[in-house]
Amino acid sequence: MSIEIQGVTKVFGDFKALDRIDLTVPSGELVALLGPSGSGKTTLLRVIAGLESSDEGSILFDGEDATTRHVRERGVGFVFQHYALFRHMSVFENVAFGLRVRPRKLRPSREEIRERVMKLLKLVQLEHLGKRYPGQLSGGQRQRVALARALAVEPKVLLLDEPFGALDARVRQELRSWLRRLHDEIHVTSVFVTHDQEEALEVADRVVVMSGGRIEQIGTPEEVFHHPANEFVMHFLGNVNVFHGRVEGGKAVFGDVAVEHAETATTARASDAEPLDDEAKPAKVFIRPHEWDIAVYRNGRPAMEAVVIHVNAAGPVVKVSLLSESGEPVHAELPLEHYRSLELRTGQRVYLSPRKVKVFFD
Amino acid sequence: MAGAAGQFGGTNKAGGRVGTRDPLWMRWSLTIVAVGFLALMLVLPLVIVFATAFSKGWAGFAAAIAESESWSAIKLTLLAAAVSVPLNIVFGVAAAWAISKFEFRGKDLLITVIDLPFSVSPIIAGMLFVLLFGAQGWLGPWLAARDIKIIFAVPGIVLATVFVTVPFVARELIPLMQSQGREEEEAALSLGASGWQAFFRVTIPNIKWGLIYGVILCNARALGEFGAVSVVSGHIQGVTNTMPLQIEILYNEYKFVPAFAMASLLVLMALLTLVVKHGIEWRAARSHAQIVDETVGAAATA
Amino acid sequence: MARVKRHRVLPGFGLTCGYTLTYLGLIVLIPLATLFLKTSSLTWSQFWTTVTSERALFAYKLTIGASFLAALVNSVFGLIVAWALVRYRFPGRAILDALVDLPFALPTAVAGISLCALYAPGGWLGGILQKAGVQAAYAPLGVVIAMVFVSLPFVVRTVQPVLADLDQEVEEASASLGARRWQTLRRVVFPSVLPSLLTGLALAFGRSLGEFGSIVFISGNMPGRTEIASLLILTRLEEFDYAGATAIAVVMLGLSFGMIFVINVLQSWSRRGAV
Repeated sequence: MSIEIQGVTKVFGDFKALDRIDLTVPSGELVALLGPSGSGKTTLLRVIAGLESSDEGSILFDGEDATTRHVRERGVGFVFQHYALFRHMSVFENVAFGLRVRPRKLRPSREEIRERVMKLLKLVQLEHLGKRYPGQLSGGQRQRVALARALAVEPKVLLLDEPFGALDARVRQELRSWLRRLHDEIHVTSVFVTHDQEEALEVADRVVVMSGGRIEQIGTPEEVFHHPANEFVMHFLGNVNVFHGRVEGGKAVFGDVAVEHAETATTARASDAEPLDDEAKPAKVFIRPHEWDIAVYRNGRPAMEAVVIHVNAAGPVVKVSLLSESGEPVHAELPLEHYRSLELRTGQRVYLSPRKVKVFFD
Repeated sequence: MAGAAGQFGGTNKAGGRVGTRDPLWMRWSLTIVAVGFLALMLVLPLVIVFATAFSKGWAGFAAAIAESESWSAIKLTLLAAAVSVPLNIVFGVAAAWAISKFEFRGKDLLITVIDLPFSVSPIIAGMLFVLLFGAQGWLGPWLAARDIKIIFAVPGIVLATVFVTVPFVARELIPLMQSQGREEEEAALSLGASGWQAFFRVTIPNIKWGLIYGVILCNARALGEFGAVSVVSGHIQGVTNTMPLQIEILYNEYKFVPAFAMASLLVLMALLTLVVKHGIEWRAARSHAQIVDETVGAAATA
Repeated sequence: MARVKRHRVLPGFGLTCGYTLTYLGLIVLIPLATLFLKTSSLTWSQFWTTVTSERALFAYKLTIGASFLAALVNSVFGLIVAWALVRYRFPGRAILDALVDLPFALPTAVAGISLCALYAPGGWLGGILQKAGVQAAYAPLGVVIAMVFVSLPFVVRTVQPVLADLDQEVEEASASLGARRWQTLRRVVFPSVLPSLLTGLALAFGRSLGEFGSIVFISGNMPGRTEIASLLILTRLEEFDYAGATAIAVVMLGLSFGMIFVINVLQSWSRRGAV
């Protein structure tokens, strides 16, 4: 089932949690709502579910207006951040709940319920734990019970609020790829909320980046990572070095360095997108830490001089902190082998040239 | 209440949380039942106390209080509280210190024993002292030989009051001090403080609200104890009658205005107790909310 | 009893523990021991005849029955009051919330005379009830009313914090799974407050068992009709029948101590539920 969100606004007191949101989720897709806390992503999810009513705008399910439909009639499966399992019921009873509360005419028979619950428990690999209580399960197991419970009512939309937020790093990693496989298997339209960019980029078909109650960018993980629409997205998806510079003659200039740049975008005014060739225009230049080439000697390429102040070589990628000539801190990352061949030391003078820059005009 | 319909109908603590909202008819009827029940059981008894006490105006009220027997009852009640409250403060703090700062066998049993006076009916509590110190009691003959009177005299009243108020301070402090642990006191000692310094400068500031809370509850019970005191008092007017006993006598003699006038003083004491209690709870809730705010804020900036 | 595991850093254990034990011994344990010593001066058959006399049996029945009824009334209304106080916002809510503790703070004798005045024939409420053909004061109903008053806070105050801590997401989960509101309340909310509700019921019952001050005025104290156990003990004492008083007291104390055990079991149950 597709979801269409049209001009949805939600205000809590004098805090605008959602500001005229428009978004379409095509049927069968797995979409991530990504943003920092307070960006409105959880509120948007709750409005879609019908757990929160919107102040303006409408929600359409398969083109049909569902704005005023009560949460119990929307046919959504909602997985809560802290699972919200019924702790006085066994795992089996938790999963069966949604079927048991149906009006008698629509309620499946005892055996049918049993069969369906067991099938779901098998799907989430918990068939042996049906008699346990939520208090006796690990975090990852609880998460999977919550998912099975939401799936039991055969929802047309699955909504997950920070599904891996409360788990430790390793279980998180496992569950992520498991959720992706599960989605490929059952193919129900799914939306999940996360503040972890890695999680969003790894699991989702499409990522919706949010901040301050607005949508900053919608795109595939590749699009949002490599072609961020604005400064916020650039900052939010990974570390980045920022230099105040200018664009002049089609080149990005910062400090003593002038480089060609592939892409230009504006943060404020779209009409100023392409400035005249020889007119200097102030701009911010963004360079990701892994986009630096580090050389020990000048090699003719445009480069910026810097001094190594700290090296963290734990891991396959070495993180190097430097200080530029003008006194700005610079972060760079390079593969371990490359680092070894360079024989970098603290205090050493090096030359940094960017392979790729991204420019946003002020 | 009808005037508040707009505000009432729309609000649920949950605000916009659709999934936790009760239907309107249910909110209305449950609120009416709850308010009605509390009004009938709690408010009405208070109203009748004041209505009767002042049924003959201020003059009638003042005359009732000024009677010498009433006055001596008030003094005796205050004396009983003045002895039993401090005794039980010292006991409560000592017991809470031993229980919360140390591990020893039989701790749970000790806590149960501290709570025992709550489970002993006041009549039985008074009776214990009659059996011990009364004319036919175990120590009765010995006391009589030395001309010491405990039962049907002031010491008996004080003893009975002490007995029924034993748990109040201790049971407020024990859970509080257990939850606070002993790290702060240990830190104080490691910084060179003596045991007493650690107690007065670290422990007392940490427990002061819980202590005050226990003290006011203890005080309310001490001033109002009826059953236990009734057994040991002997009802000698002007000598061994406390306020509640005096109220009983006046009421049974159909002197309603003086009886309710005395009662109204105790009602004021009870209401004051509730005000202090909720003041403390409100304070605690507020400081807790602050801590939560700060943690959330810190997490957000991190 | 007081053997400390090695390793103690903080001072004062000997002093505080010693003082605690001495104080409890003098004020609580020695007097209680006297009671049991006194009982042991009775022969078994004397004891049995006293505690099973018709008058005593009636007093137990009335005390236990009225206490149970009062606890039941308070369970129903206490649950509603707690729900309304936690979930709804209405004018006067804060004051009513504070007032719930009144029976803890109000001297029982004061409660006794005001309830008696209210429910006596011709009183504000007694008059209304009389027209309906119901006698409250000087009847067993009066005993129940007084017990409802004194044990009112227990259910409210044990259920209220549990309701306040209830994770509202659980109710939302239930709604999102298609449950109607009453299904959510019955299948999700009620089971999670049940342990605390039963604890409150037991506490209220225990409190009513020993109550005296608020009951003596309204009950009329008629042997075989409105005489509760506490009053029978007092009557025996005033007749200087110490042995008789002691025997009945032992029965009532046994009942109270039994309730302590029940309440402990219930409380550990509600704690276990709180995962």
